[in-house]
This record gives sequence, C-alpha cells and structure tokens, in this order.
Amino acid sequence: MGVLAMTPVFELEGVGFRYPNAPALDGVSFSIAPGQCVALLGANGSGKSTLLRLLAGLAFAQAGHVRFQGGELTEAALADDAGGLEFRRRVGVVFQNPDAQLFNATVFDEVAFGPLQMGWSREQVLERTGEALRALDIEALRERPPYRLSGGEKKRVALASVLVLDPEVLILDEPTAALDPQSQARVIDFLFERLGERTVIIATHSLEVAREIADTCAVLSGGQLAAHGPAEGILSDEALLRSTHLLHVHRHRHGPGSAHSHPHQHS
Amino acid sequence: MHIPDGYLSPSTCAVMTAVSLPFWAVGLRRVKAAFSARLAPLISVCAAFSFVVMMFNLPLPGGTTGHAVGVAVAAIVLGPWASMLAISVALLIQAVFFGDGGITAFGANCFNMAIAGSFVADAVYRAIAGAAPLGSRRRVVAAGLAGYVALNAAALLAGIEFGLQPMLFHDASGAPLYCPYPLGIAVPAMMLGHLAFAGVAEGILAAGVVAWLQQNEPSLFEIHAAAGRGRAQRIGWAVVLALVFAAPLGLIATGTAWGEWAVEDFSKPEARAAVAAASGNVEPPAEAPGGMARLAELWKAPLPDYAPAFLHNAAAGYILSAGAGVALTGAAALGLQWLARGARRRNPVG
Amino acid sequence: MRRDFLEKTLRNLGDALDEAGRAESSGPLRRLDPRVKLAGFFGLILAAASSRHLPVTLGLWGLGATLAAVSGPGAWRAILRLWAGVGLLTGAVALPALFLTPGPALDWGVTQTGLQSALTLLVRVETTATFASLIALTTPWPALLKALRHFHVPALAVVIFAMATRFIFVLLGIARDAFEARRARHVGHLPGKLRRQMAASGAAMLLGKSIQLSGEVYDAMRARGFRGEAVTLDEFRCSRADWAAAGLFLALTGAALEWGCWR
Ligand SMILES: Nc1ncnc2c1ncn2[C@@H]1O[C@H](COP(=O)(O)OP(=O)(O)O)[C@@H](O)[C@H]1O
Ligand SMILES: [Mg+2]
Repeated sequence: MGVLAMTPVFELEGVGFRYPNAPALDGVSFSIAPGQCVALLGANGSGKSTLLRLLAGLAFAQAGHVRFQGGELTEAALADDAGGLEFRRRVGVVFQNPDAQLFNATVFDEVAFGPLQMGWSREQVLERTGEALRALDIEALRERPPYRLSGGEKKRVALASVLVLDPEVLILDEPTAALDPQSQARVIDFLFERLGERTVIIATHSLEVAREIADTCAVLSGGQLAAHGPAEGILSDEALLRSTHLLHVHRHRHGPGSAHSHPHQHS
Repeated sequence: MHIPDGYLSPSTCAVMTAVSLPFWAVGLRRVKAAFSARLAPLISVCAAFSFVVMMFNLPLPGGTTGHAVGVAVAAIVLGPWASMLAISVALLIQAVFFGDGGITAFGANCFNMAIAGSFVADAVYRAIAGAAPLGSRRRVVAAGLAGYVALNAAALLAGIEFGLQPMLFHDASGAPLYCPYPLGIAVPAMMLGHLAFAGVAEGILAAGVVAWLQQNEPSLFEIHAAAGRGRAQRIGWAVVLALVFAAPLGLIATGTAWGEWAVEDFSKPEARAAVAAASGNVEPPAEAPGGMARLAELWKAPLPDYAPAFLHNAAAGYILSAGAGVALTGAAALGLQWLARGARRRNPVG
Repeated sequence: MRRDFLEKTLRNLGDALDEAGRAESSGPLRRLDPRVKLAGFFGLILAAASSRHLPVTLGLWGLGATLAAVSGPGAWRAILRLWAGVGLLTGAVALPALFLTPGPALDWGVTQTGLQSALTLLVRVETTATFASLIALTTPWPALLKALRHFHVPALAVVIFAMATRFIFVLLGIARDAFEARRARHVGHLPGKLRRQMAASGAAMLLGKSIQLSGEVYDAMRARGFRGEAVTLDEFRCSRADWAAAGLFLALTGAALEWGCWR
C-alpha cells in the first residue's frame, strides 16, 4: 500500500466547540483511517452529535483542527463551489431525526435531492435514484410522502438518500435509536453487508451496535475523549464503560429469589 | 378572515396581489441576506407552525374559544419580513389544499393577514416594548396588544375591501355583483367579531407565547436581531400603516364612502320617504335604536380618531344594527356548520 | 360538560391530518396532466369570478357539478359537503342583503336588486369553490407541487412550499402528542386563566421545536449539497389528450368570459 492510503480520512487535533450557552467539546484528538468502522460511544449529551457535525462540515472547530484527507475543514474551504460540493458528495450523513432528514414531499424527491444539487444530468439523476431505491428495497414507496412511512422505512429512505451519492465516508447518528428490534437488526445487517470498503462513523450509546460492527471505538464523556482504541479492548473495559455512564449497575432478578447487582446495559 | 373566492372582484384581487408583490420581493431579498441558505428551512418550518397554530382553539374570557393566526408571534420572533413570508406560505397551503380562503383572493388575504398583520404587530410591539429588558412584563403586554391590534387591522382592511365592492361593481340593474354590503355595514360587521373574539385570541396567544419564551427559551428572541432592520423596514411600516389608517379616512374625505344609504339621509324627510318606499313602506327609524348606543360605544372605544363625525351621528347606530345583524347571522351560520360537522362525524359518509 | 378547548384542538389537528390523504378520486380529471388542470381551473375560476350574468355563472356551476360527478364517489361526496358548508355560510352572509339593498321592492321587504345580488354572490362563491376543490381532490399533493414549478414560480419558492407541506405533518403530530399528554394529566375543568396559559405554552413549545427542527433540516439540506439555490427535476410529458383538454379549458373559459363579462 502506498503512502496515500495511510493518510487518515479524518484527523482531529485538540478540537474544542461550544454552543452559545453550553460547552460541547473540549480538546478532542484522534484520527480515523480509511475503511475503518468507528463507533463513537457516549451517554446523552456527551457531544457525539456535535462531533459528527464537525466531521460533516456543518459546524467548525473553534479550537484545534479538523482535517479531512489532510486538508483543514474550515468554513472558507467548504464555501468554495467545486470543493465544497465534492466534499458533500464524498461525506454522507444520516441524521438521528428522520423528520429532519426527510424534508421532501415524496420518497423519490428525497432520494433525487442530493444528485440534483450535485448538478448531475437528468439521465444520471434518474438512473442513480432508481438504483438507490432498488438497493434499499423501497421502490414501492417511490411516490409516498414520508409522513406515511414507518420508522424502519424512514431509516431506509434516509440511507438511500445518502448512498445515492456513493459517498466514501458514511456518518450515522444513532441509526438504531427509536427502532423496534426487528428494524434495528435489519439496519445493522444492511450496514454489515454493504459498507465493505467505506469509512463508517456511527454515534451510538448502544454497546450492542458497537459490538456488532465497530473495528475501533472512541468514547466521549462530558465533551472530552475518555478512550480511543480497538473495539474489543474498550467494549470489555467495564470500569471505563461504567464511569462514562454507558453501563449501569442496579439490582434485578435472575430466576426466583436471586436478586443481585451486576453491570447492566440499557439500550 | 380568510376571504373566499367570489366575494371580491377579480380586479380588486389583481390590485391586492400587485400591492403584495413588492413586499414579497423585498422580503425574500432581505430574509435571504439575513439568513442566507437557512431561509428555506426557517420559512417553511415557520409556515407549518403558523398553519398548525391556526388549528388551536384558544379559550377566551367568557367561556368561548377562538382561533388565532399566529402572525404577532411570528413577527415578534422572526421579524416582520420573515413572518410575512411564512404566513403567506401558510395561507397558500390553506387555499390550495384545504379550500380555506380563495385562490383569486390569495393576494388580498396575504396583504391583510401576512403583510399588514406582520408590520402592524411589529410596529405596535416595538412601540410599547421600547427598550424594556427581554424578561420584562411590559413585553408580554406589548405582545398581547400587538396581536390584538394586528388582527383588527387585518379585519379592517378586509372590511374595506368588502365594502368597496358594491360601490364599484354592480350589474345593469344596480344589483351588487360581489360582496353586497357597503363600507358602512361591511366594516362594522368585520370589526365586531374581531374586536370581541379573534383579536382577543391573537392577543392571548402572543402574550402567552412571549411569557413562556421569556421563562423557557429566551434565546429565540435573538433570531429577530439577526434579521436586522433599516430603511426598507421603515418604508414597509409606512406603507402598511398608511394603508391601514389613511385608507378609511381618505374614503370618508372623498364623501362617497359609506355606500348608497348615505347616513345623513336618515335625517332628511324626503330621503326617509325614499328609503321607506324602497323598503316596502316600512318607515326607517328617525333615531338609531336605543339599545344600539352601547354597541356604538364598543365600536368607538378602540379606534378613537376613526371618523369621529360619523360616529357621533345617531344614525351610526342604525348601520351598526345592520352590521350586528350580519355578524349574528354569520355566527348562526358557523353554529349550523358546526352542528353539521358534528353530525357528519357521527355518521361519517366517506 | 362543554367540550374542552383541548378536545377541540385535538379534533382539529386530527381532521387536518386525515384530510391530507383524501385525494381518492378517479375519472378523466385524475388522469389529466396537473399543469393543464391547474391552469385550466384557474381560468375557469377567473371566468366565474368575472361573470356579470347569473345564467353564465350557473352554467359554470353546472360544469363544475358535472366534473365532480364523473370524478368518482369520493370526490362527489366531498363536493356535496362543500356545497352544504359554503351554501350555509354564504347564504347567511347574503341573507341581510335581500332586505338591505336599495331597489324595487318585492314581497316581505325583499328588494329585487337584493335578491339578484344575493343569488349572484351565492352561485359565484359555490362555483369558484367547486373548481378550487376539484383541483385538490383530483391531484395528489406532490404532483400539484411539481406542477407549480412550471408556472415561473421561483424554484426556491416551490421548495419552500413543498417543505412547508411536509413539515405541517411533523408539527401536527408534535402538537397532537403534546396536547394528548396534557389531557392525560388534567382531568376535570380548569380555571380559564390556566387553560389559556396551557394553550399558549403549547404554542410556544411548538414554536421552540419548530425553530430547532428548522436548524436540523438546514444541516440535512447542506449535508446533501444545498447551498441556497434550489434545483428541481422536470418529469411531465403532455399527451395528446392533455393538449385536447387544455384546448377545451381554454374554449370554455373564453366562452364564459365572452358571454359573462365582455358582452
Ligand atoms: N443546537 C444546540 N444549541 C445549544 N446547545 C446544544 C445544541 N446542540 C447540543 N447542545 C448541547 O451540547 C452538548 C452536547 O450535545 P450533543 O452533541 O447533542 O450530545 P449527544 O449527541 O452525545 O447526545 C449538550 O450539553 C447539549 O445540550
Ligand atoms: Mg445526539
């Protein structure tokens, strides 16, 4: 492999960010290699979504640096017409709230939105949109308005609307939150099968999801990076998971009359 | 308040659309400058908000409920330009998809509620709130009054638009082609309901929302600051306020205003004879019915310098009684419609 | 006990949510190109609004009734309900005009001009409302939105319009959930002030959620390349039948204007 392949997709260096009335990230540094699947773990409010917004170029670091394939991600860099649009094509984001993600009047319009913004030709837009609808098995929903879809269907439409641009990096914010177990399993299976060589970054507070698909884990706690490393090591470090509120200890029953305490996960 | 198709002549509708167009054009440009690409999501979501708020039933003092438009809330939080665009979009959706308000009357409805409503609400809110701190009680009062005045200004404009129809458009025999009531009836008929109910609902909503935001989401008041203001805004105020307040005065000044039954005629014997003949030899009252004096007071209170000479005329009561008649039959119709809807819900047809 | 404002609001919200899926029509109008339909009905509405002769307006009303009758039972029932509602309201508005309009007297204090103008108003309003509803009843919303793109409505305006229709459902759902939660918490009759506060805080919370949602939507749009200018896709093909229908609409509108307005 050449030197190029070794350039990290994302590189964070002492990244800090605060909202007008709340600090969100402080001194976060790590990098993401191409083809990796990274689970971004953390309790609610730990800064996962904010970090994803920085990686996706939707907000910009107020301290430190965020680099994409060696180039610094700044507002000015993305304002540049060709470069900005190319970055949007290469980095796809599936947001946590499907109602915010799906803002078009029909499923077809939703999936075609990205290609149209890219300025592709009419034929190309129609062809790629058709492919994406087939790939996610949502052709039947083509003319349906998103408000009539189930949670699982909305998630698949959201994935199609992002994958239609064939991004190299896929960012997912809590992809399994608010789904029933069957839809959850379906989304995980899909990610498992299709995302082969893509770089994937998943924010989640579900250890189960992380166990199933992550190569690497980064743990956020109160806006700071609590740990970063191979998935097996982090997911088996009970002390770490407990201190970052990813595991709870409480009493519950195992069989008749045997209440006791042990670490326990809620997802 | 949502004027349906058919009550206003196409030329009136064209004029109202033409008056609205520059506001939309300037508004779009200003909001785009303030919010850049954020414009699309902000306006569309706020239009949806206004649409949903129009479905709320607000409990009014006295046990009834009323609907608000949400225009004062939108003007206070988003500023008049963005508010005007958002409410216009909400009205368009109501007209096209829900048959609420006419398609040809869209320009008139937008001018009354979205444009005049936003600018009047903004002007009243700023005038009363002044430099009071963001969390002050004064801002709550200012918001309530802004809602009340804005909706009544919109109703006044609608009343004037209605009242001009019989003067300008009738067939060969003199029968009015569109709204049949002259200004003297149409304006009080529109105003009574809004002074007493709809305006109150709008005021309660605006005051309540501002009070809640002060406690829970004060950051929302900063959106407006981002929208900026300047000369265009002052021109907007000037045009709208001139139309709302000067138009009726201008109409009165030209003398033709109050329709075919010129009010003064009631005191002239020969005119009374003519009216008596015209109404099947029933003698019209020489004086306004006594009970109407109180209604006249109600009508006088909120708009003190609105045509004082006209209001001091005893015959004003007579016209008010006609106005009240229209309002009452309107209310009765709404009641019937409500009953019909209830019946439909119990035996759904479709 | 009298129906509470919460109940009424919840019912309104539910009705609006249901209403959206109601384009359950069939027949020739359903198949017609939405652009032709939109322009054609707009012409007819204009003709009805301009007509100065009652027979011409009545003729247009007959046309609307016929079109409704061939658009399937769902559309027909909806139009019947519309006539009843509009008739009641406009009838009540027009009623005093019977007596108040000056002119030659008929019986019971009704004047001839009064009768004439009340009838003219009633028929006109029924006719325009019929045409306007036929558009919405026979066209799915998304197709209607796409049709707008062809009438030189700026693309950004169409995108805003389309997004607003989309978010109405999101916000209706949020509002319904919020009011349902309140209803569950409060049993019995509340004092007026508290009820007003409850309604206003419901609206305020909805506004807060709306602004937050608009921020999230903005992120979602930018992430897929949106930079403030809308790009949309043209997907219509006009068939020969569509052209024929366009010609028919044009002829009818012209005839109605000729006899109803210009003569
Ligand atoms: N738009 C925003 N405005 C203000 N504060 C925010 C906003 N979004 C998130 N925050 C705050 O930033 C912190 C991190 O939030 P977030 O990144 O959403 O965490 P997570 O996704 O891990 O739940 C929280 O304290 C949250 O309240
Ligand atoms: Mg989050």
